[in-house]
Amino acid sequence: MKMRSAVAPFVAASAIVVLVALFAAPVSAQDTNTLKAKHVIGLVGVKHNATGTLTIENGNLNFAKGNTKAAIPASSISEVLQGADTQRTIGGTVGTLTMLAPYGSGRFLSLFRTKIDTVSIAYVDTSGGMHGAVFVVPKGKGVEVKRALLAQGAKTTVPLDTGATTQTATQKSPGTKQ
Amino acid sequence: MKTTKIARSSAALIFGPLLLILATAGSAQNNPHPKLKASAIQILMVQSNEVNLPLPFQVALYENTIEQVEKTHKFEHVYRDGDQAAAQVPDLVILHTNVYGFKKGNEEERQVLTVAGSTQIKVHCQFTDKSGNSELQSDVTGKVRFLGENLRATYDFAKKVSRVVSDNF
Repeated sequence: MKMRSAVAPFVAASAIVVLVALFAAPVSAQDTNTLKAKHVIGLVGVKHNATGTLTIENGNLNFAKGNTKAAIPASSISEVLQGADTQRTIGGTVGTLTMLAPYGSGRFLSLFRTKIDTVSIAYVDTSGGMHGAVFVVPKGKGVEVKRALLAQGAKTTVPLDTGATTQTATQKSPGTKQ
Repeated sequence: MKTTKIARSSAALIFGPLLLILATAGSAQNNPHPKLKASAIQILMVQSNEVNLPLPFQVALYENTIEQVEKTHKFEHVYRDGDQAAAQVPDLVILHTNVYGFKKGNEEERQVLTVAGSTQIKVHCQFTDKSGNSELQSDVTGKVRFLGENLRATYDFAKKVSRVVSDNF
């Protein structure tokens, strides 16, 4: 009996260590250019507000949700801007349904908001047609996405070294011919 | 039996003139102008020379407009800004959009106060032919008043543009 009580803390500690190692491994192995993102609008063949994986590698911006995949060559991106925003913590259909909750509790729930970054891009397809796309990424990741895209050959009118973490489109429209 | 007859005749007296008025109003609302004809449309990127429009709104306006105009099935092709194939179409119509008013609301305010925090985008739309002659002009306002994110105003705008297209082409 004494033996069991003496061993129990060691067993528990080793179990915790194993669990931490299991959960920590994928995070440390994760590519810094891969992150979870929401596609708001703009990618051909991808549904609006689809949540998937955004990857920037081999000169492409890739978005994947299940079997649906879209790739944009970074060199075709003529504008990248990131911005900061907030969104409802409980969103989507469930978030809308909470508005029906009694005693104004739905309105109270809408006060809980999550900080996010937005990444907007303008790019050109093979026939010269202008496209635009908007992504929502976790807070602080917008700059990383922009930096990765610029490193892969994308262009911007607002360089990262301006120090601004939030950028607004003060430049001319991306479709403006000069 | 007599009561039913009275009820019928009184209903005819009430609803008869009402139907006549509605029919007259309906025929007066019919567009006297002939519908415009074009096999293809090119939608140019949204311009915002007068107001400072954030890029996500500009992109969403453009993409939503293309999507909604495609859904009207009024044109064989909907070309994007810069698409070289559009130059080959003889009866091409070009849609120019210029944002002249933008009020970014607040989704939180909308949810809590209901009457405040609406987002509004006012856009001047002009349909021209290839040589730049104006064929149709319209001011369209995209709004989001109660539910939804601010970008939903761009969807509202696009739906209204598609209605303009459906009514005139």
